[in-house]
Amino acid sequence: MKRLKQDASEPSFGPAHPTTDVAAASPIARDLAGLLTHEDVDRARDRWRVSRARWAERRSKTLGRLSVLWLLVGPGVLVFLGENDAPSMLSYSATGARFGIGFFIPFIVLTFAMGLVVQEMTVRLGAVTHRGHAELIFDRFGRFWGFFAMGDLMLGNFLTLVTEFIGIRAGLGFFGIRPAIAVGAGLAVVFAVITTGRYWTWERITMGLAIFNALFVPAAILAHPNWTAVGHSLVTWSPLPHGNPFDILLLILADIGATVTPWMIFFQQSAVVDKGMQPRDISAGRFDTTLGALLAAAFGIAALLATAPLFHHGIDASQFEAAQFAEALEPWIGHIGAALFALGIFEAGIVAAIAIATSSAYAFGEVVHTGHSLNRPLREAWPFYSILLGSACAAAALVLIPHAPLEFIVLIVNVIAVLAMPPALAFLLLLVNDREVMGEYVNGFWENAAAIAVTVVLICAGLGFGIATVIHMG
Amino acid sequence: MRQELNGEHVKSSDAEIKVSAEAFEPGADKVAAPDLKDPSLVLSLLEADQVVAAKQRTHFGRRNLSVGARVLLWGLRIYVVAMLVIVLISAIRAIHPVP
Repeated sequence: MKRLKQDASEPSFGPAHPTTDVAAASPIARDLAGLLTHEDVDRARDRWRVSRARWAERRSKTLGRLSVLWLLVGPGVLVFLGENDAPSMLSYSATGARFGIGFFIPFIVLTFAMGLVVQEMTVRLGAVTHRGHAELIFDRFGRFWGFFAMGDLMLGNFLTLVTEFIGIRAGLGFFGIRPAIAVGAGLAVVFAVITTGRYWTWERITMGLAIFNALFVPAAILAHPNWTAVGHSLVTWSPLPHGNPFDILLLILADIGATVTPWMIFFQQSAVVDKGMQPRDISAGRFDTTLGALLAAAFGIAALLATAPLFHHGIDASQFEAAQFAEALEPWIGHIGAALFALGIFEAGIVAAIAIATSSAYAFGEVVHTGHSLNRPLREAWPFYSILLGSACAAAALVLIPHAPLEFIVLIVNVIAVLAMPPALAFLLLLVNDREVMGEYVNGFWENAAAIAVTVVLICAGLGFGIATVIHMG
Repeated sequence: MRQELNGEHVKSSDAEIKVSAEAFEPGADKVAAPDLKDPSLVLSLLEADQVVAAKQRTHFGRRNLSVGARVLLWGLRIYVVAMLVIVLISAIRAIHPVP
């Protein structure tokens, strides 16, 4: 079972998956009781609510189950709606505008299925080990590989954060709000959400914001899509996209990068740990993750459908930013539809900025062994919150630099995410197959087969892009 | 209150959960919030390795990577660096097109 290395001076510790009674009766319980933190008490309060809901579940199965699920959903929904971020929604929009309804609709569904395979493993890893992903990589593989993984994460996170603020700026730009004010408003929301000093409150507020990702649905309906063609494309994967193969490959990679990225692995595992989920909560965690994937897929497809009129009317959207998409769509989906689209891009940027900055802060805290929980107050975990806010501030400042090639940066960020994903998946697979870490929750045959298939698809997509790029440059 | 919670938390796996008789009483889900100033109650609600102090004291040991795993990690590292160079060159060319 789980192998724990202890400091020599410390008393021996409990078994791999100890019962809570064992915790209370453990020889070191007295020591631990004196060392309990604000974070532990808040987490225990969340666990008590879950226990109470489970009692209710035994008396009223439906209501009780709903209550348990309501308490345990969060990380999965947030990670997928967070990944439906500004660059992702712009990738779907660019896809719809350039290729219309066809191959890319089922392709988006496929990418979310790939994301679901990956994220389910992070739920198990977090619930069983109670450790974040960065901490586990450093513990099990050492500093050398740990710093590589962190380098990929931090670079990808920062570039993605930049694009979130591009989305925030562009989304509010549609309403005539000046860039500095839009970016400042985005930062203010990120700051306001973390001042709660409570994971539960942070999670619920962020989920409340994330549900506005659904704004793309009315925008899509206002575009009056041909539902028969949508259904046909879902079944037949056709019509296939035509045009420059390099452009098609770039959009394929961007759409994959809109769904599976390294920050999602680090974020969801840390959020599962911060939420206090335990092995018995894994099935609820799977529901949470599936719900998030379904919602995100629906909203992503809605973004594609909303911009499909641009394709049908032959409008060149290759250099569009978010606000330009909304403005170009106005003749076909009306001012309200265009405003919903612009607000959707703003929302996508805000939620992702919160989630990605938190992902960086969690990883930093886990690696330097400083407090890394949203259950800690600002003054107690200031290094954690400094990274969270500092990365957001730096990204916001970069966005205000004039004449940046925004659309290209947005697409390239998703491509980089795809390229950095195979090593992240390799670490994840090694960890989730590590019986000393996972015990009975180790990956089964089908879970490994699905995860390896996802990794191979990502590597092939990356290599294809590389070869096409070299040919394109030649 | 404490006994009820402990009764419910005998096993952390889904498969084996012993529930106290009180849990079936009407209104068991409407009990008042527990006094979490009691450290033993906090410990009864969390798994032992979920407590911050315990996590700070214990770490997973380093695992020995097999040759295959090392080759895989190095191969993927080379892949990422090579691909990033290609993306970087592609991005620079797009921003500053060669006449």
